[in-house]
Amino acid sequence: MHELSIAYSLLNLAIEECIKRGFSKIQKIKITISSASNIMPEALLFSFNALKQETIAQESILYIEKIPLSGICQSCNTKITTFKPFIIECPVCHDNSLNLQIPDDLKIDEIEVT
Amino acid sequence: MKIKIAKKIFSENDKIADINRENFKRHKIFTINLMGSPGAGKTSFLEKSISLLKDKVQVGVIVGDITGIDDAMRINKLQVPVVQLNTGGACHLDANMINNSLQDLPLEEIKLLFIENVGNLVCPADFDLGENIKVTILSLTEGDDKPLKYPLIFKKSSALIINKIDLIPFLEVSIDKIKKDCLLINPTIKIFKVSCKNNEGIENWVKWIMTMIL
Ligand SMILES: Nc1nc2c(ncn2[C@@H]2O[C@H](COP(=O)(O)OP(=O)(O)O)[C@@H](O)[C@H]2O)c(=O)[nH]1
Ligand SMILES: [Mg+2]
Ligand SMILES: [Zn+2]
Repeated sequence: MHELSIAYSLLNLAIEECIKRGFSKIQKIKITISSASNIMPEALLFSFNALKQETIAQESILYIEKIPLSGICQSCNTKITTFKPFIIECPVCHDNSLNLQIPDDLKIDEIEVT
Repeated sequence: MKIKIAKKIFSENDKIADINRENFKRHKIFTINLMGSPGAGKTSFLEKSISLLKDKVQVGVIVGDITGIDDAMRINKLQVPVVQLNTGGACHLDANMINNSLQDLPLEEIKLLFIENVGNLVCPADFDLGENIKVTILSLTEGDDKPLKYPLIFKKSSALIINKIDLIPFLEVSIDKIKKDCLLINPTIKIFKVSCKNNEGIENWVKWIMTMIL
């Protein structure tokens, strides 16, 4: 997977947003990852921690929140959420009409700056 | 202090993929990213498709492999422009590799570009190359459980090619299961059954491609 390239993009984006608002240091970056994504959080964290050195995000902590997939079973109307990468069958009635919504792969949610 | 951002993170790859997409659009090129396991029949399928397509439309090909020029030699025999891309270890093509290899293709003369990705059912699905559509080829010898094991690649593909159907008498696989599982993952995927051995189904697929590029 391309965790290194993603870490690079997210670090740049966070730094850009921080400076744009007139701040000079990033303490925390919170991002969200879709459960359907192939991105490995551990690898992303590893890459991020290597790349942040000598930047204004040097002392920052990266928080990664997984966002579940959600859907409503067309057959029994149960609202489903799952942290699995994908599911086919409704866990309640075992029908295959889940109509799963897949969230955006990756988002920068908020940053904490001074 | 906390600042709410709520922005999508685009990787460097996505940015370059957009540049490729613009480039294809400017040259009016329709691009197909062909993915599948090693040995699924990607190159064979391209050979068969191009034989039928090349009198109808100007075709170009980029073939990706970790190393070697075998696939490019095979395509070269069909007398269409081809670039062999060696990833030197990477298990997928990325947008930057495509961007670089476009310099070696006569873009003005190409209307349909095939990109044969590196053999793999996982990583290629994550890398947008700037293509118009993704197509996955699955051969019957790989077994009928693959769509459910690797859902993402099937989810992102516009078409599924089920290859090697000439081998049906020798195998215990269910084409119906492949089709059913694939449609559950991706209800709008278009499915073609083909054999690159006896040409079955190739014409159907070629007709579909022609409707996409007109
Ligand atoms: N029986 C049979 N063999 C096939 C078919 N398509 C490809 N092959 C064989 O499968 C092997 C791998 O094919 P190739 O096109 O090199 O696969 P690639 O690695 O996906 O590019 C070759 O030996 C082909 O001759 C088919 O439809 N039927
Ligand atoms: Mg090949
Ligand atoms: Zn249900």
